[in-house]
Amino acid sequence: MFPHLRANLFLVAATLLISAVVYPFALWGVGQTILPTKANGSLVRDEAGQPIGSRLIAQPFTGDEYFQPRPSAVSYNAAASGASNWSASNYLLRDRVARILGPIVKYRGGARTGQLVAPDLEAWFRNDRYQGQKGIVAQWALAHPTLAQNWVKADQQNEQYVAAWRAQHPVDVAQWLREKPDLPEPTSADLAVLFFTHFSHTSPGTFPALVTARDMAGKEVKQIRPVQSGSEIQSTFFDMWRQEHPEVDLEPVPADMVMASGSGLDPHITLQNALYQLDRVASKWSTLTNRGCTEIHHEIKELLHQHAEAPLAGLAGVDLVNVLEINLALKNRYHPAQSR
Amino acid sequence: MWQIWILPILLMGTCVLLSIPVGLYLAWVMEGRYRAPRWVQRLEHWLNTGEQNWKQYSLALLTFNVVIFLVGFAILALQPWLPLNPDGKKMLAPTTIFNTACSFLTNTNLQHYAGEVHLSYFSQLFFICWKQFVTPAIGLCALVAILRGLRGDPHMGNFYVDLWRGVVYVFLPLAFVVAILLMVTGVPMTLEGNATVPTLEPGAMGTTPEGSPVQQEIARGPVAAIVAIKQLGTNGGGFFGTNSCHPYENPNSWSSFLSCLCIILIPMASLVMFGKMLNNFKHAAVIFGVMFVLSAATVIWAIYHDSLAPNPGLLAHAERSYDIPDPTSAEQERRLTLPAMAGLPVDQSLGNLEGKELRFGTSAGPTWAAFTTNTSNGSVNAMHDSLNPLAGLTPLGGMWLNCIWGGVGVGLINFLIYLVVGVFLAGLMVGRTPEYLGKKVEAREMKLAMLALLIHPLLILGPAGVFAASDWGLRSMNNPSAHGFSEVLYEFSSASANNGSGFEGLADTYGFNANENPGPFAIQWDLATGLVMLIGRFVPIIAPLAIAGSLAAKKPTPFTSGTMRTDTITFGFVLLGTVLLVGALLFLPAAVLGPLAEHFGPLPFGG
Repeated sequence: MFPHLRANLFLVAATLLISAVVYPFALWGVGQTILPTKANGSLVRDEAGQPIGSRLIAQPFTGDEYFQPRPSAVSYNAAASGASNWSASNYLLRDRVARILGPIVKYRGGARTGQLVAPDLEAWFRNDRYQGQKGIVAQWALAHPTLAQNWVKADQQNEQYVAAWRAQHPVDVAQWLREKPDLPEPTSADLAVLFFTHFSHTSPGTFPALVTARDMAGKEVKQIRPVQSGSEIQSTFFDMWRQEHPEVDLEPVPADMVMASGSGLDPHITLQNALYQLDRVASKWSTLTNRGCTEIHHEIKELLHQHAEAPLAGLAGVDLVNVLEINLALKNRYHPAQSR
Repeated sequence: MWQIWILPILLMGTCVLLSIPVGLYLAWVMEGRYRAPRWVQRLEHWLNTGEQNWKQYSLALLTFNVVIFLVGFAILALQPWLPLNPDGKKMLAPTTIFNTACSFLTNTNLQHYAGEVHLSYFSQLFFICWKQFVTPAIGLCALVAILRGLRGDPHMGNFYVDLWRGVVYVFLPLAFVVAILLMVTGVPMTLEGNATVPTLEPGAMGTTPEGSPVQQEIARGPVAAIVAIKQLGTNGGGFFGTNSCHPYENPNSWSSFLSCLCIILIPMASLVMFGKMLNNFKHAAVIFGVMFVLSAATVIWAIYHDSLAPNPGLLAHAERSYDIPDPTSAEQERRLTLPAMAGLPVDQSLGNLEGKELRFGTSAGPTWAAFTTNTSNGSVNAMHDSLNPLAGLTPLGGMWLNCIWGGVGVGLINFLIYLVVGVFLAGLMVGRTPEYLGKKVEAREMKLAMLALLIHPLLILGPAGVFAASDWGLRSMNNPSAHGFSEVLYEFSSASANNGSGFEGLADTYGFNANENPGPFAIQWDLATGLVMLIGRFVPIIAPLAIAGSLAAKKPTPFTSGTMRTDTITFGFVLLGTVLLVGALLFLPAAVLGPLAEHFGPLPFGG
């Protein structure tokens, strides 16, 4: 009995010492002395020496002058990585893709090659007929109740808007609730489908969206208003528009622009994706620097090819570009005053 | 697109080459042929409690497991009061501590928490890293003991000495080398807390209520130490929530290649050790061939359905009609029509990219998905939940068979069960008393083998049925219908196979004890999978130990021309057939309800 006890205790202590103290601290010592940058997370510094991110971790970019990273299921939160975990059969995945596509997709082939689909989509939306029936918004909410609910939950203002609507329409709500005995205390989100059905009827050809307006004192305020155009409509209704226009030839968008990464922090995009974004980026820098667009386009393209690298030295995949590094290079090159 | 096959071929090839020296080294160490320095020798002598038979060996193994379970539980429970906690991690929920203690005790590494969110550096090193060294060594001990029994040694060795050898001479040097290489590729190794950085474009992360730009908080830590042993020991529990998808665990294609290599290296090398210890390389080669065929098949299947196929959710679908039996209607049949769907304009020439990172290479995700479930590793470099429906069969199938390479030690033990069954079937078919390695396989051995074989499907299908039929499962799913069922099925497959990967959408995380908004049925998931892992680990270790003990005690039968040979290609086919037949009979119905139904059903729907 005693030798067993002795062996057990000794093994616990010895393995703890080896695996949790000796091994990691030896590695820590090696890392901090020989590879200090990598061992501390490959932080990237700007010209003034201030860290502005990690070359391994994606960060968001919103401005047109920057290349944008892949979509992130965790909004680029590097303290809690995560993926969408959506299967192919999950409509939420298709919806996310369609939302990104709506404002950027262009025609391919025919007289309108290279033109955006968005204006036609908005005209189709204002006409307010889907599959021969009136009320696009109502049909959308009925077909995708989760999306309708997500709209309500997405923003406090949206929720308040629906709550205000509910207060104004007690009769409709009460009548609808009579048929839903399993909803004793419905939230605003629970009423999403009813709200949109009603909205579609009273404000046909519009969708409630957050717009910036000026109040009487001239101050900027954000309000929900029925709108007839804009990115929210282009995003939300692209998939429905597509169902009615299945034959139209559209230019395919690189998949990594619409599919989220596994960690939510993928620092790369494909070179193909970068070239797809190049027009936007180059024209914005040309405005900011007052230089010719063709010239800047050419320069940035060259820069992209310099930065491009493929996995396993080209054996295992396609050319990729590190988004933070390319954007830092752009900023240093065209906007040196601001980066200091 | 032939380039897509370069990566898996390189990986397999390198691993086969490396497994030979590593396997011979394993045998050399575990047989005690090395010469340690004098003071270490004295230590090992002091540790040696004497030769053990299978019962004594099992008892020592179980005792040690109880001890490290308790120590591990205490370390996790005391997290808020222990040092090395720069980001102030609080206490986990009690059921999550139980689940995690079971998970890392059983070499499963199923994680109902997210490493960078919920664990301090102390817990990462003293709990995770420690268990990742010790538990694969336990598996290795069990295998070595069984091999000693199979070759007829009078005793099975001494558990404590075997464990010491496994940790100190096998895993420590290998992990150290791999960790250094990983650090060179860019894996961090720091004790500093999270880095907070302003973004290059100020305000891109939004603005605070006070109007200043939000900064990006980047979690880091002693990652390299854990990633190295996580891969080598078929552990799979990552430092970060998204495991080897995370750029800090896996910064580029080289780290991905190295990690993937380490996943199968020791399980493959165990076969070389098997041949060396039994002095029967031909028999080992037959087993190696069977495993290689199965492994290659899972890799090819996954790449074909995921890297070479687009995500079907975005594609155009023609109108489809199905005639469904319907006893309530007059025609006994009902026609179900799925409307046509237009495709979205997305260039999917790189396959399904949802849940994949770009930097590892086009076919790296599915290749890894196959290897990590061939073995019982369970780390991921692509989110399995978002694999194409049919590609998802590769990880599920790997865990159901649970014997292609398998976990360190235990994989080969699982395969021995199939061997005994194969020998028995073949013996009966030709009308002879089945023999294995010159010993008669009789009723007692078959009963034990059946126990070890059937506990696995019972542990998967039973609880998966209960959860899928109740709110426990239905309200924890992240995806609709058939795929939601796959999530539940995957979770229990992973727990029972001691794998640890997941269809991670499943809401099984409770988080900190103070969390006000946990997964609705996280407690049920914690407890159920915890128990499944324990049973799924120890029954398939103890039963084969008993078989080996019982075979060792038998008199060898003389080798005659009538003896059934186990070192021929014919026997390889028998083995392959046994594995596939048993696997298919047990799990095909569940596969039809999950991945296959998703593939043939409407894509996408709901929402």
